[in-house]
Order: sequence, then structure tokens, then C-alpha cells
Amino acid sequence: MSEIKSESISSLVDNYSPSTDDSISAHLVDNMLKDEDLSSTWQNYHLIGDVLRDEVPQSLQLDLSETISAAIAQEATILSPNSSMQTSGKNNHLPTQENAAISNNSSEQQTNSVVDATNRFKAKVSSLIKPMGQVAIAASAAALMIVGVQNNVTDNSSITPSQVVQTVPLTGYANPVSFNVQSSQSQQSKQQTQQAMNEQLASDRVAQQRRLQALLKDHNQQVKLGSNIK
Amino acid sequence: MKLSAFFLLLLSFNVSATTADTESAKLSLERLSISLRQLNFSTSFVVVKNNQAEPYHWLHGIGENEQELEIFTRLNGPRLDVLRQGDVVSYIEPDQEPYSIISRDVRSPIPTIFRGNISELEESYRFISVGRSRILGRVAQLIRVVSKDKYRYNYWLWLDQKTGLLLKMAVLTRQGQLLEQIQFTHIEVDEQLSDNLEQFQLTELPEVIELTMQGQNKALSWQVSWLPQGFTVVKSNQHKLNSHNRSGDKAVEFMLFSDGLVEVSVYVNLSQEEFRAPEYASDGATMVFNHVLQGIEVGVVGDIPLATAKKIAESITPASVDSAKTNDRNSKGEQ
Repeated sequence: MSEIKSESISSLVDNYSPSTDDSISAHLVDNMLKDEDLSSTWQNYHLIGDVLRDEVPQSLQLDLSETISAAIAQEATILSPNSSMQTSGKNNHLPTQENAAISNNSSEQQTNSVVDATNRFKAKVSSLIKPMGQVAIAASAAALMIVGVQNNVTDNSSITPSQVVQTVPLTGYANPVSFNVQSSQSQQSKQQTQQAMNEQLASDRVAQQRRLQALLKDHNQQVKLGSNIK
Repeated sequence: MKLSAFFLLLLSFNVSATTADTESAKLSLERLSISLRQLNFSTSFVVVKNNQAEPYHWLHGIGENEQELEIFTRLNGPRLDVLRQGDVVSYIEPDQEPYSIISRDVRSPIPTIFRGNISELEESYRFISVGRSRILGRVAQLIRVVSKDKYRYNYWLWLDQKTGLLLKMAVLTRQGQLLEQIQFTHIEVDEQLSDNLEQFQLTELPEVIELTMQGQNKALSWQVSWLPQGFTVVKSNQHKLNSHNRSGDKAVEFMLFSDGLVEVSVYVNLSQEEFRAPEYASDGATMVFNHVLQGIEVGVVGDIPLATAKKIAESITPASVDSAKTNDRNSKGEQ
């Protein structure tokens, strides 16, 4: 039994669902989340895959899931709902797979809450919220990653001007956006100071470009000549 | 239990596979070195960096008396040629008189070390043979030249299975961001010397300039106290830095370091300013860094990450503080 399970986990890790039916793999994932053995198997397979692909980070953080689930355990208690409407509303926002799995539960809870909104219901909902909390955390982590990556990309493009490549120095420079965004107070005098500042800034930039270009040019020259001095 | 045994098996398999990969990667690189020196080939390639593509022609052949002949030509923009007949290398550049020097190295987009002794790189880099793919319609072997520390970039080389020649090259950061790429667009290997090289053999190159040893290896007043492992001094001197300001020529102390694959220049001079915030720009993989700290202006240029350039620049100290170190560096420089 366990061998079959670990085999299907292995194929899940390899991004290949053992069956065409999505609900079965979803079931497997559910099982895995409950069973500590299976989830450690999942973890190990990923580690093996990472090692094989030479993608192991410099420092291994092996216990990430434990710290995350500990954090979730703390979070989830705060999220006890006040009305059944909220929870059912939230359910609708979930991605389709989870939705299918959970929709049974939620309808059951709604009827329950109509009969009596007692502790039993609360317990059920909070057990329902737990996986949702996990999903939410995963989603927000993914969102953070995307934001981070985008930041990285834009950062790099703004940090690395391509002007250095050109041997002829450019005369005009675009002003940074921050100089245009200012309050409308005493526009005239400000514009004058702005202009002066812009000119100052532009000349600074020209000087900087020149310095860096001179260095780059000399470096290339020295490397050419350097080869016969070794 | 079963699982741990399986894991161990996998690990041991993986380790043995890695050493095999390293061996085969080194063999491929050695083959590249031989091919680059001995084959008659005519190629075109494109250097992609800063969202721009620069096309080049590259011809190589063996002429009379086993003399190596080589031509690099940049095809776009102002003329830029590198010509080589044996040990004489000529550079024809836009804003300079053509000149020749005696050298075994040719400064081109293709790193010189690839035609040299590959094992010089083993101190700072690991070689990993990764797998095969299709480049330029040919079967290519991907070799990764991976830095052993975080102070350098990684290099991926796609080598032709048939001829051993380079088909594609990429320079990446440790995080996998692509900085610069060379993609060959045409490759032709021939038994015969091509007509172009046949003619080139008869042309006379510009006059060889004698390099006045502009204060070579003179005791400098500044020293670099930190460099990544594997970098050694190639040369050091004092010269004038030619800036665009006609009056702005300034004398600098200059040191050139190399780890075999990457060259790093360090410029030091006293500044009138007490402090200037770090400024930098990058040209593909080449980082140019400059700052003034405590009245000392330091410039660092080379194919290294910004953090490395900054760390080198901050490690500049007066040489007199530690005379033992200076002696050590000077003796290295005279090698």
C-alpha cells in the first residue's frame, strides 16, 4: 500500500499525474497532507530531484514545512468566522480543484449552521479554514515571489544604463520622475530651482558617464597590451 | 528503511556521475582548445548584450610554416578588426591609429583562455558536462564552467560534437540571470585555407609598437588587500587615464589581475573630493565601478559582480602600512 502511494507521490513530484482523473491526485495530496510519513516522502523526493539537477541552494533549510505549519496553526485560531455567509463566500474564491473538494463540506456546514450554530460548527469550520489558510499562505508567498522577481527585473534595468556601450557621450538625459512630481505650491520659483537642479544633475551625470567610460576604455586597452607582459 | 537505502544509493550514484561529468567536461574543453588552434574555420557570430546584437566574422586557419592566421571583424558600426599572423596581433579601431603588438593572445569577444591551457581555470571554476542539445542545427554538448565562489559569474558553453568548436556561450550570474550571450550563426570547417586568409597571408600588418614599460611594476603606493581566490597580478603600472575632457587626463596607479578567464583592472588616484558615492554601470557582463573614499578615488573594471567590485575597491590601503605584503605582491607581479 505504502509503496504504491510513494510511487504515485514520486510521479507527482515529476509533474506527472498517475491517473488522468484530477480528483484522485487531489485525494492523494489530501492524504499526504494528513500523513506525516507521506509528506516527508514528498519532501525527500524533491530534495533528491534538486540534488540530481544540481539545484541545491547553498544552505539547505530542510524543515521549512514544519515552521510554516507551526505558523499556520497559530494563525488559524484567529480566523474563527462570525457568519456562515462569509465562509461560503470565501469558498467561492478558491481555485477550482479545492473548490470541488471542499464544496461538499461547506454545504454541509451551511445546513448545520441553520440548525444550530454551536461549537461543533466552529470546530468544523476552523478545520476547514486550516487548509484554506495554507492555500492563502502559499498564494501570498507566490504573489510575493512574483512581486520580488518583477522588482528585480525593473531594478536591474534602471541600474544598468546602456549608455556606457556607446563611445560617443550623449548630450541629453531624461530627468528622473521624482523631479516632476512636486506640489503646485509656488510653481515659478520652484521651476527655476528645478531647472537649475536638473542642469546640475545632467552635468553630474555627464561627468559620471565620462569617468566610467574612460575607465572601461582604458581597461579594454590595458587588457590588450597586458597580454604580452605576462 | 528502504527509502534511506534508496537515497544512499542515489547519492553514491550521483557522486560518481559528477566526477565522470567533470572529466568529460574537461576533455571537451581541451578539445575546444585544440580545435581553436588547429582547424581551418570560417564562422559568424552575434554578441548579444544590453539588448543589442553585434555581428562578427571570425576566420581562422593554418598558413605556411604552420603559422596561425586569424581575422576578427565587427560588421556593424565603425570598423573594428583584430588581425593575427602568428605572434603578431594587429588592432584596427575607430579612434586610433592601427597598431600591432607581439602577443600570443587575441583580445576578442571569445575569451583567450579557451584556446589556452584549460587546467589554469581549475583553481577557481568547476567544469560540469550537463547534456546535449541542438544548436545551429548541430548536436551540441553543454558544458558549464561554474565559479567555486560567489565572487564570479558562471559560463555556459555549447560545443559542437563533430568539430569541438564553440557554438554558443552564455555568461550568467549565480542566480541564473543572463548577462551576455554569444551565438554562432554560421560555421564552416574546411581542409583548405580559405581564400580570404590566403590573401591575408600576403598582406603586411601595421608596424609593431614597442611597449615602453611605463614604469612597469614600480613599487606602488596603494595595494589591494582583498581579491577573490585565484586572482593574480598580471601587471601594475602608473599611467595617464585618458578621459573625454581634454584637460582631464589624470595619472593613476593601475593594477591588472586575472583568474585565467576574467581580467579585473583597479585604478587608484588621489582625488580633490573627500567623498563621492559609488557609481557604476555595466556593459553586458563587464562592471565599471568608481567611488571616492577618504580622498582616494578607486575605479574597478572587469567581468565581476557589483558586490565583488565594491569589495575590491573598499580593500584599497596604503602600501606602506604592510611592507611585507607589498614585497609579496611585487614578486608576483614580476612573474
